[in-house]
Amino acid sequence: MRGPPTTSSAASALRAWIGFALLVAAHFGVRPLLGGRASVDFLVIAILFAAVRIRPGLAALLGCAAGLALDAMAPGTFGAAMLVMTAIAFGASWTKAVFFADHVALTGLFVFLGKWIFDIGYVSIGGGLRGVDLVVQLLLWSPLSAALTAVVAIILLTAFRPLYRPQVA
Amino acid sequence: MPRSVRGGGRFDTGLVVACIALSVFALVMPRRIRDTVATAIRGTALSPLVALESRASTVRAAIAARNDVLVARGVVATQALAAPGIADENVTLRRLLGLSSRLADGFVAAELIPARGVESDFTLTLNVGASAGVLPFSPVVTADGLVGMVQSVDAMTSFAITWAHPDFAVSAMSTDEVAFGIVKPHLGDGAERWLLELRSVPFRAKLDTGTLIVSSGLGATYPRSIPIGTVLGEIATPEKWARTYLLKPSVLPAAIGPVLVLLPSRAARGVNGVWVSVTSSDSAARAIAAAGDSLARKAALDELSARRAALDSASADSAGTDSALVRTPLSRADSLRADSVRRARAVRADTTRRPPTTPPSVPPRTGPPPPDDANVYRTSPS
Repeated sequence: MRGPPTTSSAASALRAWIGFALLVAAHFGVRPLLGGRASVDFLVIAILFAAVRIRPGLAALLGCAAGLALDAMAPGTFGAAMLVMTAIAFGASWTKAVFFADHVALTGLFVFLGKWIFDIGYVSIGGGLRGVDLVVQLLLWSPLSAALTAVVAIILLTAFRPLYRPQVA
Repeated sequence: MPRSVRGGGRFDTGLVVACIALSVFALVMPRRIRDTVATAIRGTALSPLVALESRASTVRAAIAARNDVLVARGVVATQALAAPGIADENVTLRRLLGLSSRLADGFVAAELIPARGVESDFTLTLNVGASAGVLPFSPVVTADGLVGMVQSVDAMTSFAITWAHPDFAVSAMSTDEVAFGIVKPHLGDGAERWLLELRSVPFRAKLDTGTLIVSSGLGATYPRSIPIGTVLGEIATPEKWARTYLLKPSVLPAAIGPVLVLLPSRAARGVNGVWVSVTSSDSAARAIAAAGDSLARKAALDELSARRAALDSASADSAGTDSALVRTPLSRADSLRADSVRRARAVRADTTRRPPTTPPSVPPRTGPPPPDDANVYRTSPS
């Protein structure tokens, strides 16, 4: 009796990791093509979708690794993305009950909040912007980017449901 | 909250604390060490992602460059398309400058203001008005010929009708002055609407295709010799006693750009010789006619000389009692025109008495005519 569920769980986990890898690849391979100040953050989507499947500690570790990758690409704010992504992944894993509802709108809202919080924390800790630019970034471009990211997340969740369907860890 | 999370609380908390500590450490690391670590990560674990990002950036740059190339090509294509138009405009302006130099004075150069009315096809709005001396009924011309006539004038602008306007009419003639008529727009359909008609041409005056039609100067609006159009052919009309010809306008609608408005003073003085094509063709026609008539002219010359010699002899007879001036006969070629001969006779009649009817005491001269000198007057021997 334990065979089939274990096989199904492993296949689901495999699909989840494939989906995660595709989103990470999209973050580095597709995002530069889109350009613009309000861009889609595939890495935040990947972290949020993965965090609901794993334990909070592992989610934090995964977020820390993803943040490290981002910081390695932008050494000027080295550590900021690690810290913020760790917090978001851990928080997403703790609040995974929200995803249990498997509601598309709630998923979009959660991605929106996760991306916006990430931008707020990243910009605040990184310290690259000040004054009006900081306000414009946090109140205009970050919400736009978060909304775009949420829309893409909803599309992905709808179109590639086997890859990104939430499952209890 | 799921049981697995609660059960592994310490493990999760430991990982989170470790991650946060690592992050804070990364934040406070010296810059040199941060750069070293980042470089090492990019060169090892992240190298595929770095390559992927680099390739994506290159693709995006190529797309942007392609867009720039397409935009540049579009600009170049637009400029290439506009180049012939600019060249044509330059040619038009140069020809207009030539016309201005031939007119010398008595005109106003005008630009067209884009039309706003419903009759925009047949009317022009000019950027000159009464302040520049423009008056109603002033002819509007280009280097190609007649465009139309000023119809109304404001202080700074004026409105003109073109030859295509239904109200347009001009007295016209062929350059050899054989055919006279009235030119009006051809009220046909389609492209024929942009042609002209030369109406009321006497039936005996037959015009060939390509004959240049110019203004005749009859009337008070258009001076003589402004090109109007060329004959395309005769068209059938109910009028059996007159001919109607279809004309191709000298000034095509698309070529109407900068124009000149002839002021009344200049129009009154005439524009003969201003349009070179008219003058040259007229001169050529006269030269050909003169060459062809040389024999007849010689015969007429001899006959005229003999007649005047007889008249001179008769005048000499009567000069004994009359000291009136007697003009010598004219024998120069240009004085053989009918009006010159008529004028000479008129002068003679006005200044001398008619000789008596008595027979002359000296027989008429039968030899060659006296020396040619139209401007020499001689007195009779006293």
